[in-house]
Amino acid sequence: MKKPLISVPGQRLCLSDKTHESGHGTYERQGYIYSSLAGIVDVIDKNGVKVVEVQSIGEQTLVPVQGDIVTAQVTILTQEFCKCIIRREDVRATDKDRVQIYKNFRPGDVILARVLPITEAHTYNLSTAENELGVVIAHSEHGYPMVPISWTQMQCTKTYVKESRKVAKVVPENMNQKTEAQEDTT
Amino acid sequence: MAKQFKSLHPIKFYRDYLNQNVRPDGRLLSKFRPVIVNTGSIATADGSALVRIGKTTVICGIKAELAQPKAEKPKEGFLICNVDLPPLCSSKFRPGPPSDLAQVTTRFVADLILNSGCIHLRDLCILKEKLVWCLYADLICLDYDGCLIDACLLALLTALKTVKLPSVDYDVAIDKKVVNEDEKKSILIYNTPVSTTYAIFEDKIITDPTAEEEDLSSGLITIVVKEKELCSVHKPGGSPISEEKLYDCIQETIKRADLLNTLINTAISEQTH
Amino acid sequence: MPNDNRRINGPENTLSYRLFSNSNPHSNVQKKIKDIFKNNTRPSERNFSEQRKIFLKCGVVSQAKGSAYFEVDNTKVIVSVYDPREIPKKTDYSLKGELYCVFKFAPFSCPTRRGYQQDAEEKQNSAILKRALESAVCRHKFPNFQVDVYVLVLENDGSALSAAITAAGVALAQAGIPMYDTITAATLGVQGSHKIVDPNLEEETLCNVAVYKNEGEKKYESHGIIILSMLSTHEQVSELYQTGNLSLDTINAAINILSKATKEIVPLVEKCLVNHVTKNLKTDVED
Repeated sequence: MKKPLISVPGQRLCLSDKTHESGHGTYERQGYIYSSLAGIVDVIDKNGVKVVEVQSIGEQTLVPVQGDIVTAQVTILTQEFCKCIIRREDVRATDKDRVQIYKNFRPGDVILARVLPITEAHTYNLSTAENELGVVIAHSEHGYPMVPISWTQMQCTKTYVKESRKVAKVVPENMNQKTEAQEDTT
Repeated sequence: MAKQFKSLHPIKFYRDYLNQNVRPDGRLLSKFRPVIVNTGSIATADGSALVRIGKTTVICGIKAELAQPKAEKPKEGFLICNVDLPPLCSSKFRPGPPSDLAQVTTRFVADLILNSGCIHLRDLCILKEKLVWCLYADLICLDYDGCLIDACLLALLTALKTVKLPSVDYDVAIDKKVVNEDEKKSILIYNTPVSTTYAIFEDKIITDPTAEEEDLSSGLITIVVKEKELCSVHKPGGSPISEEKLYDCIQETIKRADLLNTLINTAISEQTH
Repeated sequence: MPNDNRRINGPENTLSYRLFSNSNPHSNVQKKIKDIFKNNTRPSERNFSEQRKIFLKCGVVSQAKGSAYFEVDNTKVIVSVYDPREIPKKTDYSLKGELYCVFKFAPFSCPTRRGYQQDAEEKQNSAILKRALESAVCRHKFPNFQVDVYVLVLENDGSALSAAITAAGVALAQAGIPMYDTITAATLGVQGSHKIVDPNLEEETLCNVAVYKNEGEKKYESHGIIILSMLSTHEQVSELYQTGNLSLDTINAAINILSKATKEIVPLVEKCLVNHVTKNLKTDVED
């Protein structure tokens, strides 16, 4: 294995020119690329341009931005919208949906959603209006896990009761990759 | 992958581990975390101790000041101990006045110290009705990872044993105090109450829980013993515990108390040498 | 004093026994200052430009995202940093994230006992800390959020604030908060023509005392404390704070001395962070 190149904040990494671009964890100042994190330097070749990145160690510090896909847990439900906690971040989010919300989500559900443009401070608007987005993990009224049976229904594994949900189209094996890629802008 | 499972189904994640009789950190259910006791680390305090139980860290600094005794108890000094849980030690705590947990722990530790008789307040008297010592014992949690009371008691007792008070000459007639800092004496500690915390998770008892385990558990129980006898049992609500299990816990605590006592004594003798 | 019913309060008037000590340190300040001039030595017997040995470690608080412990002689400072969180009680949108800094002395950290609530000095220090760190952090990376920085001084033996700034910089970097640069800080005490780098508590008190130039003449010698924090790679001063009464020449000279002193700490900070990365790299590979 190649010995990794370690950088600290403020370390000058290379010249910023046509072949080198500043990526994640770096910044540009006066023609040079500097590191902004303590971590490992990565150079990614992208159509002939080398993107210089720094990956920090351990859990990353992330703030959701527009277009990101996030996993969230539904906490409060009203006629108009539901409130969610976005996993791993201490952020409250609001999901506005004009469709019958009770038929789509229940508190405790874990959903995949996309962050919409931020319109007001401190709330994130999330959307599940895509086939791949919606409920991924849910429990029935009796507390047993449910499995999806169609894109609008899930069935309890114990009582076989059917409940309606806005189901995300995810093949179960892919689910974990999805959660990991939650902050990727796809 | 384990990480995602843990954050989505914390209880299930933990139950799967316990069914194999092991905990996520690799300990058996009845296994303690290593304990480290360090004394005299704060030179500005008159007595100090740093205790680590696993990752839980509590520092105790004692400052001695001179005060006038209360009229109703003219021969008694003061021992004022406060537990502080600053936002520094865990994301659970926010800046501002002490949290409920801090207040409950403060009260419990303060009551326990007075009730156990490990320190006699009369020993802190310099001159009846006129002048007594007031010991301010401040316990600050630096890293909160469960078993707060255990760490606090251990730190407080160790720190108390390291306290050295200067001699005071007090001339009542002209109200003149002269403190001789070259002559310093320890205070008498009559017994050493130490505690162990257990968490109740479904039908199992988990010894020395971490903060995560405390959150998932359905109840906590703290048992305090001094010199092989039961001193106090603290069980703030939660699910019930059977008599046999409680008895087992007490026996376990007594066994561990010996070990903790040795630790305290070693730490103190290391400091003086 | 307002009654604090959330804590156990002591009797109303308690006094430190040190006030009545037979070897009272407060009485001979003037004599000590004269000693400095006469013998040309510091009370701590170091060279005037010599810093004390520093011990720096990061990742000391397991519950925090980033943390650091800084020890220089008897000065002991612990800092922890948490993930960005929403700014409480704020409704408008801010493009730049905020730093929320709390600087606190432990009650037992100083010769006289400290209170539980932040006093004026601690609030002042929190503000200095915030100003010093703000220009080192890429605040545009977390708009509308705040990052909490908590500093606790366990024992104060001088230069506690500069220790806190350096330690906070390390803790922020360990927490993975994007930063423009590593930040280091140093303290300088001035008494007359003497400039004392990294003063201990005794030297700090001596530098805060005004002394007449000559007996009978109503003119003070230069005296005071200067704290400087520096972004090392870009060689930018992020904060300069000064107390006392100093001439312009003294400040110029002080900045030169302090920027040199801050540079001496940089390798230590870098080594600490590199160690942290390598250590975690190994555990990552093992997993």
